Amino acid sequence: MKDKLLEVIDHLRSKGIDYADARYVSIESESIDVKDMQVDAMVHDINQGVGIRVIADGAWGFAATSILTAGSLRKTANIALQVAKASAMTKKEDVRLAETEIHKGTYSTKYDVDPFSIKPKQKIDLLLKANRVLKRKKAIHLAESILRFNRTKKIFVSSEGAEIEQDFIESGGGYAVTAADGSEVQRRSYPNSFGGDFACAGYEFIESLNLVENAERIREEAIALLTAPPMPSGEADLVIDGSQMALQVHESCGHPTELDRVLGTEISLAGGSFMTTDKLNELKYGSDIVNIYADATVEGGLGSFGFDDEGVEAQRTPIVENGMFVGYLSSRETAPVVDRRSSGAMRAQSWQHIPLIRMTNHNLEPGEWELDDLIADTNGGYFVETNKSWSIDDRRLNFQFGLEIAWKIENGKRGQIFKNPLYTGMTPKFWNGCDAICNRNHWHIWGVPNCGKGEPMQVMHVAHGTAPARFRNVEAGVSK
Amino acid sequence: MIGKDKLFTLIEKAMEASRADQTEVVVAGSSSGLTRFANSYIHQNVAVDDVKIYFRVAVGKKLGTASCNSLKLTDLKRAQRIATQIAKRQKENPDFDGFAKPGNYATTDTFDEKTSRFKPRQRASKLKRVFKKGEKYDYSMAGAFSTGDGEIAVLNSNGVRCYQNFSSASINVIASGENSSGYAAGISSRIDDVDIPGFAAIAVKKCRMSRDPKELEPGKYDVILEPAAIAEVFEWLNFVAFGSKAYEDQTSFLYGRIGEQVAGENVTIYDDALETGNEGLPFDFEGVPKKRVDFIKNGKAEGVVHNLISAKKAGMESTGHGLPPELAAEGALPLNIRMAAGNQSSDELIAGVEDGLLVTRFHYLNGLLDPRQALMTGMTRDGLFRIKNGKVKHGLKNLRFTESMMDAFKNVTGISNERTAVASWWGSLGSMYVPTLRIKEFNFSGKTDF
Repeated sequence: MKDKLLEVIDHLRSKGIDYADARYVSIESESIDVKDMQVDAMVHDINQGVGIRVIADGAWGFAATSILTAGSLRKTANIALQVAKASAMTKKEDVRLAETEIHKGTYSTKYDVDPFSIKPKQKIDLLLKANRVLKRKKAIHLAESILRFNRTKKIFVSSEGAEIEQDFIESGGGYAVTAADGSEVQRRSYPNSFGGDFACAGYEFIESLNLVENAERIREEAIALLTAPPMPSGEADLVIDGSQMALQVHESCGHPTELDRVLGTEISLAGGSFMTTDKLNELKYGSDIVNIYADATVEGGLGSFGFDDEGVEAQRTPIVENGMFVGYLSSRETAPVVDRRSSGAMRAQSWQHIPLIRMTNHNLEPGEWELDDLIADTNGGYFVETNKSWSIDDRRLNFQFGLEIAWKIENGKRGQIFKNPLYTGMTPKFWNGCDAICNRNHWHIWGVPNCGKGEPMQVMHVAHGTAPARFRNVEAGVSK
Repeated sequence: MIGKDKLFTLIEKAMEASRADQTEVVVAGSSSGLTRFANSYIHQNVAVDDVKIYFRVAVGKKLGTASCNSLKLTDLKRAQRIATQIAKRQKENPDFDGFAKPGNYATTDTFDEKTSRFKPRQRASKLKRVFKKGEKYDYSMAGAFSTGDGEIAVLNSNGVRCYQNFSSASINVIASGENSSGYAAGISSRIDDVDIPGFAAIAVKKCRMSRDPKELEPGKYDVILEPAAIAEVFEWLNFVAFGSKAYEDQTSFLYGRIGEQVAGENVTIYDDALETGNEGLPFDFEGVPKKRVDFIKNGKAEGVVHNLISAKKAGMESTGHGLPPELAAEGALPLNIRMAAGNQSSDELIAGVEDGLLVTRFHYLNGLLDPRQALMTGMTRDGLFRIKNGKVKHGLKNLRFTESMMDAFKNVTGISNERTAVASWWGSLGSMYVPTLRIKEFNFSGKTDF
């Protein structure tokens, strides 16, 4: 396949293009959904194709095809060229790409057990076993569990001479249990909501989730929520669990530091960003203990890779240091605007999508607290866990998150349970109220397999390393 | 496009090799061009050809699904073989009663040759006119303009042979000024029905009207929700209320309330792919003919959509709302939501507001706060206006709403007599068709800085 891609690049060179790259992607995926004690869906998919990106007459064009013959690829390259010439009809200035090192390299996910080597029966039995525990009480109306596996191969070549081959293995899963009593319906999820937890890892990651071992606790919490009071409204100190912290980082720091959003090129769908270029190195984004890095090099993260889809090597990029906003996620086209080189954040969902600036592993560095000590130190506050809903304005300032469960912190421990917890705030004020972050013992990289951006919508796999953290004087329990 | 005859011949050849008791094949192909623009120039421009072929097979009551995106006979046979292997290792599904039998399918008009052949250069030419509209006020124009075609085929071993081709043209435009923005959008299966300069003009007008926005404290206000705003609400209700899974899970606000008055008598919300003028597929992805389904009729809860398996569980017949096999776990979902029109013009609705707000669109809605109460939250964007004494007065900084749609639907005091097609998650085949609503005492719970 690499030779075919190189032929395409040669073909485009002969047409006088400014730049071209060609990217082959093949994704084999397996998904298993078990609902109560039945296998609701089991699907296997193989999807492959080539996307060709061209700069001609100073403007971008892109075309993609699933027909992989040499003739089809040449035809697709010609279409990309025509598309670029159409784009040039409205250009204001020529597209220029920042200099980057040209790589010829390979990268592979490290894993112990190939998940595709595990028999479907073993996978189904694991989910059925978890569901059996979850369904053991009458109040449980529904137990749903899933497993997901992907094997991805990427080959990237460019007119600048890049030749990169990468192989990825992703594994993930989890469950949700719904308790109902006729009028009230409550849900608990493990290890996270909306599918569970995911990593660039093999089947050993699934075994590490301890799905069955946690089922009884999650079931009992769901049942307890049926009779729990709603979280009271008002200002409160919150200790937010690691999985919700992952989404908090994602929505209020990840997306607003994507430089394409900042420059207005995603405004029509996802919106812009309050973290404009005049605020770089000027904005006190959070308190002094807040340090956030975009780190594509960390092992096992769902946002880890060797090279992005422009051939730029994976990096660890400072975003917030000691509370100051210091960096962006960027591409070769956008980085020069802030006088920097690409942060290596350009990724496409698959062959038929153009690369966009995407989060990698956008990690909040751990602090110094043990979780028990932090809870003991937050009397009168709440410990909140597991995201249920999310919403944020189109510049990423005003957010509102709903969660599955809250515990009032009484006598230094988690006490009464409250249902439908919710908190809201304005991003910089909220992060400046962060006065404690748990240590590395409680730090985990949460895989987020459903980050949406772009038109047509691209769903990207990203991750966030986070630990539970405390925020002072948060507007909580706000509802109708 | 591959075309009906060629596609049927190829798929039938692959199906002949099936060793399963029953075999179903869904083919979804598309050829699309999408031009994105921002800062008044084209910054992303793509042309993509793809096809996806799903094999769902049954061995007794055991089901297996495999898919690929290659039309090579060897790859098709391989996918079919994998589906059969999965089925053999599966547990029986007691709610599976076999794939669809051939039905009587309506004819719907979903294809336009001109739209199908629309070229990148033609899109760029149209967009030059959009940018021109913004130039006068130094507004930055952004959005996306797409054209393309596609085809859907459903075949099974019971003799179902369904095929439909379609085309699509859609645009969304945002005009941005120093401290305001305006939005407009349109979708149709025919490029000639999408008034691109007209949408650009609306976006510019809204941007001008909302400049120097004033701040307003959150609270309860009478609101005018324009079609783009109410369609965002329906997009979420699609998942949390009107589909078979939400009902089975008991999380839908309609659950346990069928026959009850859940909204004002003036509210009728339904799914109908066959409605003239805004048509969709006449069959679903299981090859079942599409039927109209009322979710709320004259304020009373009526029901939800079903596929073959969810219908069996509910003791009903499929309504023709099965999804592609990869989305089987989502159950059945409506693709063509409509709301019945009222009897006032949009201007008359505004004239009836003494002190309230006009909402152009919502951003980042979420309907998972408390689905049993249809409680939702979201932000306004691209044009929030104050209405005083029946007239739109000035722009406002954006607000967050948190509101139960059950309450909101009880408080609808006016519905426009015009309806607008709004793009949904399923593109032109699944566009919504919605009016403008006037709702009293809509709850805004927060505010932002712009």
